[in-house]
Amino acid sequence: MGLINDIHQKLINKEISCTELTKSYLEEIEKSNDALNAYVCVTGDEALKTAEAVDKKLASGEELGLLEGVPMALKDNMSTNGISTTCCSKILTGYKPIFDATVWEILKSQNAVMLGKTNMDEFAMGSSCETSYFGGAMNPFDINHVAGGSSGGAASAVGGNIAAYGLGSDTGGSIRQPASFCGVVGLKPTYGAVSRYGLIAYASSLDQIGPITKSVEDASIVFDAIAKPDKRDSTCLGAKGGETYPKLNNDIKGMKIGIAREYLDGVRDDVKEAVLDAAKVYESMGAQIVYFDLPILKFALPVYYIIACAEASSNLGRYDGIRYGFKAERYTGTHDMICRTRSEGFGEEVKRRILLGTYVLSAGYYDAYYKKATDLRGTIIKAFNDAFERCDVILAPTVPMTAFEKGHATSDPIETYLTDICTVPVNIAGLPGVSIPCGFNAKGMPIGMQLIGKSFDEATILNAAYKYQQAAPEKFTDTKWGVKL
Amino acid sequence: MVTREDVENIALLSKLFVPEEELDGLTKSMQEIIDFADAINNAPVSAEGFDNINNLSNVFREDEVVESYPVAEILKNAPEQAEDHFLVRNRE
Repeated sequence: MGLINDIHQKLINKEISCTELTKSYLEEIEKSNDALNAYVCVTGDEALKTAEAVDKKLASGEELGLLEGVPMALKDNMSTNGISTTCCSKILTGYKPIFDATVWEILKSQNAVMLGKTNMDEFAMGSSCETSYFGGAMNPFDINHVAGGSSGGAASAVGGNIAAYGLGSDTGGSIRQPASFCGVVGLKPTYGAVSRYGLIAYASSLDQIGPITKSVEDASIVFDAIAKPDKRDSTCLGAKGGETYPKLNNDIKGMKIGIAREYLDGVRDDVKEAVLDAAKVYESMGAQIVYFDLPILKFALPVYYIIACAEASSNLGRYDGIRYGFKAERYTGTHDMICRTRSEGFGEEVKRRILLGTYVLSAGYYDAYYKKATDLRGTIIKAFNDAFERCDVILAPTVPMTAFEKGHATSDPIETYLTDICTVPVNIAGLPGVSIPCGFNAKGMPIGMQLIGKSFDEATILNAAYKYQQAAPEKFTDTKWGVKL
Repeated sequence: MVTREDVENIALLSKLFVPEEELDGLTKSMQEIIDFADAINNAPVSAEGFDNINNLSNVFREDEVVESYPVAEILKNAPEQAEDHFLVRNRE
């Protein structure tokens, strides 16, 4: 399966050199990326250079860190010094950052082998990866289905074994939803656990970077590595709950697992059944299932779209064709140049969200929409705090359905927004959530479930996720693609 | 009610051009999204309010001078530049 620990063992036991390993990943990318479209930029030369450095360390008998030499991928909205970073938008064509995002600085210092940058919905706005300027990433379980979004490329690469792990970003479900669609694990950490420095902003009060991996252990290993305080992101406190890896195998006997009935409303039967079956697995391990109501959840989706679009309309104001990226060729003055650059450079969904955000922030509508939405955000946070008086973690579906077929998501915006209904509450409340596979539908497409925890309590949700993975390993299946180790 | 004029006005504020033939479609889709967002006006009035996620408060620190990026590096990404500055032409 290409798990981090297995790769590490193979490297230190000299069963394979890091260069051979990296070459095999690069060859598999060459073979399968036309179909999966997971990568928008492959950085083979840099990857082989790092691999060589790792091999030198191995040859000299130096000890290797767990992530050292492990081939991985970064979503294309994380800044990489000298390497193209486009957010899969025409407006950032040719942009090469002159600094590294903190997460990449951390991993690079540990000799992580970056294979390339992964596909995403343009500026992370979408649920199918199809708003990408480079076309959508496809699902490794069936390439006629989408990988999900917005971190679709990372989920497709990990599910397709052309990266051992990937980093995604999650504003309203963009790590968990594609992880669910592609049958892999996706962790959205607590807001403030991982630095956002160098992550190109979509909605700054919601954005958070996290790992997409093949197993719960791997999510825990990568999270522990990247969850560090950062002076350059004033909201970043690091993993206040401490390291998660040593607590993965804690006994969950007596753990209270909550199910909010509203999370099951409107969810497809096969998904609901898989999640409730998982609850039974937890009961058999001695956990206690607690049902309750969280009626405020029905307002979460409009609250999310108002806040996210408002912040996006402000964050995306910086793209003006002057300092970086694409610039319109023909214009008649400065204002005209900026308008043409933005109109030609942004895709349809990005423009729609900028317009919506500008609308809810404009005089006359600010109180009715933006102010009301932020007030409700406070109410939603309080409702979750109250819920966590009754349980330790909340179990919910990740997405109300399984991966949709190609082209299905692009027709109706509202219908597409509704697919985010189970993921957005976590972002609004700043909580950690992990999506893990919990079954398959009749067509064999993966179903994901979500474990939601208290702020900075990644350890408990990963512990619960790990116990499920041990009890139901058959849900964590591999695909036919990529490197087989 | 979102009107064509609203969309034109919002587009101007957003520095986006909306072609005439797309105006009706965009007005309709904006109206649908606003109708959907209107659901929040049926929500219970909140006393909680919201400032930031982890109840952070501002802290002060010494204003230290740290190394910055060289001008030449920053200008590498500029579509046009002249004499160590970003170049903005009034006409092409």
